[in-house]
Amino acid sequence: MNHKKREPWIRLSKRDGMTSWKVWSIRIGSIFLALVLGGLVIAMTGVNPFKAYGTIISGSLGKASAIRQTVKIAIPLLGCALAIAPCFKMHFWNIGAEGQITAGAIAASYFALFWADRLPGPSLILVMGLVGAVAGGLWGLIPAFFKARWNTNETLFTLMMNYIVIGIVRWLQGGPWEGRAGSQIIPQFAPNACLPRVFGIHCGWIIVLVLVLLMHIYMTYTKHGYEIAVIGDSINTARYAGMNVGHVMMRTMFLSGAISGLVGFILVSGANGTLNDGVAGGVGFTAITVAWLSQLNAFGMVLISGMLAILEKGAETLQTRLAVPTSISDIITGILLFCMLGCEFFINFRMTFRARKAKKAAAETAADSDESPAKEAVES
Amino acid sequence: MKKFLALILSLVMALSLVACGGGDDPKDPENNDSKTVKVGLICIGDENDQGYTYNFIRGKEAATKALEEKGIKVDWVVKYNVKEDVKCEDANRELAEDGCQLIINNSFGFEEYMLKVAGDYPEIQFVGCTNQNSYGDTLKNTHNAFASIYEGRYLAGVVAGMKLQEMIDAGDLAADKAVIGYVGAYPYAEVKSGYTAYFLGAKSVCPSVTMKVKFVNSWSDATAEGNAASALCDEGCVLISQHSDNTTPATTAQSKGAFHTGYNNDMIDVAPESSLIGTRIDWSVYFTYIIEAVANGQEFDQDWCHGIDNGAVVLTKLNEKIAAPGTAEKLAEVEKAITDGTLHIFDTSKFTVNGAPVTTAFALDTNGDFVPDSEEVVYDGYFHESTVQSAPYFTLDIDGITLDQ
Repeated sequence: MNHKKREPWIRLSKRDGMTSWKVWSIRIGSIFLALVLGGLVIAMTGVNPFKAYGTIISGSLGKASAIRQTVKIAIPLLGCALAIAPCFKMHFWNIGAEGQITAGAIAASYFALFWADRLPGPSLILVMGLVGAVAGGLWGLIPAFFKARWNTNETLFTLMMNYIVIGIVRWLQGGPWEGRAGSQIIPQFAPNACLPRVFGIHCGWIIVLVLVLLMHIYMTYTKHGYEIAVIGDSINTARYAGMNVGHVMMRTMFLSGAISGLVGFILVSGANGTLNDGVAGGVGFTAITVAWLSQLNAFGMVLISGMLAILEKGAETLQTRLAVPTSISDIITGILLFCMLGCEFFINFRMTFRARKAKKAAAETAADSDESPAKEAVES
Repeated sequence: MKKFLALILSLVMALSLVACGGGDDPKDPENNDSKTVKVGLICIGDENDQGYTYNFIRGKEAATKALEEKGIKVDWVVKYNVKEDVKCEDANRELAEDGCQLIINNSFGFEEYMLKVAGDYPEIQFVGCTNQNSYGDTLKNTHNAFASIYEGRYLAGVVAGMKLQEMIDAGDLAADKAVIGYVGAYPYAEVKSGYTAYFLGAKSVCPSVTMKVKFVNSWSDATAEGNAASALCDEGCVLISQHSDNTTPATTAQSKGAFHTGYNNDMIDVAPESSLIGTRIDWSVYFTYIIEAVANGQEFDQDWCHGIDNGAVVLTKLNEKIAAPGTAEKLAEVEKAITDGTLHIFDTSKFTVNGAPVTTAFALDTNGDFVPDSEEVVYDGYFHESTVQSAPYFTLDIDGITLDQ
C-alpha cells in the first residue's frame, strides 16, 4: 500500500456484526454517561444530583396520582410515534404530525361542540374519533399526493402544513367557536363528549396500546408493511418489483395522518376537554425522537415514550419540590437524547485514528467481526 | 476489548463517585410552627415578562413581608410558564399532592382546569384570579378575585387628559387633534372596561379628546404591540396607552414623539421623555388577606374585588418632569372622590352609545350563550362595574372611541 498521501486524523468506516451484548452495553453506558453529565448540570444549580434523580423517579412514579399523570403524558407521545413509524420506515419524512394531530382535534371538536345534544353518549365519542382520524388522514394525504404526483419535498411540505392548521385553530378560538367574547377560549366540552376514565386516566391509553399491537402486526406481517419496507430500502427496487410507489405513499400517509388525527381526538376529548392552538404541544416533534430511538419498533416506543413521560413529569416535581427550573430539566432531557442517539453512531461506525498502525486496525476488525470468544481473549 | 471494559469501568466509577455525594437529606423544617402556610402559585409566564406575572411575583413578595410582621410564615411553591391546557390541571394536582393549603391560579384560562381538580381536594382552597366561574359554583373551596383596575386607568386617563389639555392651551395642538391611541390585547370585557375608563378619565379634563383602539390579538407580543403603537402614532395619535404586557408601546411612543401611560409596571425607566404614569394591581393586598385567613383557619370571600380604596389598585410614580402642572393635586382630588363615592367612573351622564345615553345593561350570562342576560347594573345614574362579580363586565362601545380590529 502506498502511504505517501497524508492520512486523515480520524477515519470513519462502517462496521457490522457487533455482538449484541456489546451493543447493549454501549447503549446502557450512554444512558449512564447522560445521567452523569445531567448530574453535573443539576449540581450547578446547587441541588444534590442524586436527590434530584430520586425526585424525578418518585415524582413520576411514587404515587398513584403521579403515575396517572405520567401515563397521561405518555399517551399522545406513543400514539404519535406509532403514526410516524410507517412513514419513516418508508423514508418519507413526515414532520407534519403536529398538524395532523391538530386537524383531527378540530374535526373531533366540531362534533363535541355542536352535536353533543343530538348524538347519544357513546355514538358521539365514536363519531368524534372517526372524523378525527379521517381529518388527520386527509391532512396527511395532501403532501403525499403532491409527492407522488410532482415529487415535491415532503419534509418542507408537511412542516408548512402544520402552521396552516394551527392558524385555523387560532381563528376558530378567537372567532366562530369562541366562548366569552374576547377570551380566545373555546368552552369546555359537554361531559358526554369526553372520553370515559379507566383507572383514573382517560381511556386513550387503551386505544394507543391496542394501536401498538395493530401497528406491530401491520408492519411485520402484512403485505402493506412489506411494501413500506421495500420502498424505504430502495424506491427503484420497489418499482422493479411492480409496486405502485405513489399509491403506497399516499396510503401510508393517510394511515399515518389518521393515527395522528386519532391522537388529536384523544387530546381534546380525553386530556384537555376543549380545543386550543397548542393542542399538539410539540408532541408531533417529540414523537419523531421516540420513533427513532426505538428504531421504529412498536414495543420499543412504549418504553421510550414512557421514559420521556417520566422525565417530563419528574421535571415538574423537581421544580415543585426543589425549585429546579424546568428549563434545567429540558437540558437534562436534551443530554439524554443526544447521548442515546449519539451512541448509535458508535455502534454503526468505527473510528480509526491516524496514529494507529494499519495492522492493528485490521486485527481489530477481524476480532470484531469474529464472534468466537477464544479469539477475543487472544486479542485482549 | 480491554479498552471497552476500561470505558465501562470508568463510567461505573464516575457514577459511584457521584453516588457518594448523595444521602444527606436535610429534614424540612415544616409544621413546627402552626402558622406556616404552604401556598401554591401557578403562573402563565415568569418574572422576566416584566408585566403580568412579574406583577404577581411582586405581590407575592410584598405579601410575604406583610405576613411575616403578623407572625405568619409563607412557604411558596411557584410554577412558572404553565400553559392554559391540561398542563394546568396537572400543575394544580401536583401542588395539591405536595401539601399546599392554598393554590392560586394567576391566569384567566387556568380556571376551567383548576375546577377539574378542586372537587377532589375539598380541604384545599383554590383561587382563579381574573375569572368568574368559581365563586358561584357548587364547590365551597373555589374562589375568584380581581381588582378594580378601571379606577387606576381612569386616574391614568386624567393624567393623560391634563397633558393634552396643556398642549391645547399652549397652542401646540388643535383641540380636535387631541387623539389618544390605545394598544389593546383583545376585544374582551376587561380590556374594554379598561380603555373606556381611561378615555372617560381623559375626557373629564380634556373635553375634545377622542380615542383610537387597536387590538394586537395577543396578551403579550412585543413586536405587534410596538407596531400597533407605531401605526397609531402615524394615524395622528399624540398619546399612547396600552393593555398589553410589553414596554414596546412606551419606547415606540417616545421614538415617535408621543406621550404614553403604562400598565402593570413603571415604564418611566424605558421611556423617560414619554411615559407619564402607569397603573397596576397590587396583588399583595389580596394575597395577605387570603393567606392570613387560611393561617387562622377562617373562611374568606369567594369573590373579591377592591380598588384604590384599600390599595389593591395603585398608580406608579408620576413623571413630574413632563406631566402637566397641577397633575399630582388633581390626582389626589379625583382619588378621594372615587374613594368616598362622589365620583362614579361609568357615570351615564358622561357618555353615550350611538348618540343616546345608556339606561340598561346586564352583567351576567345565565343561559350559557356568553351574552349577559341578568343582573341590571345601570341604576342610580351610573354603570355598576365589578359589583355583581369581581371580573369586569362593561362591554359597551361608547361614542368617541373608534375600534380598529
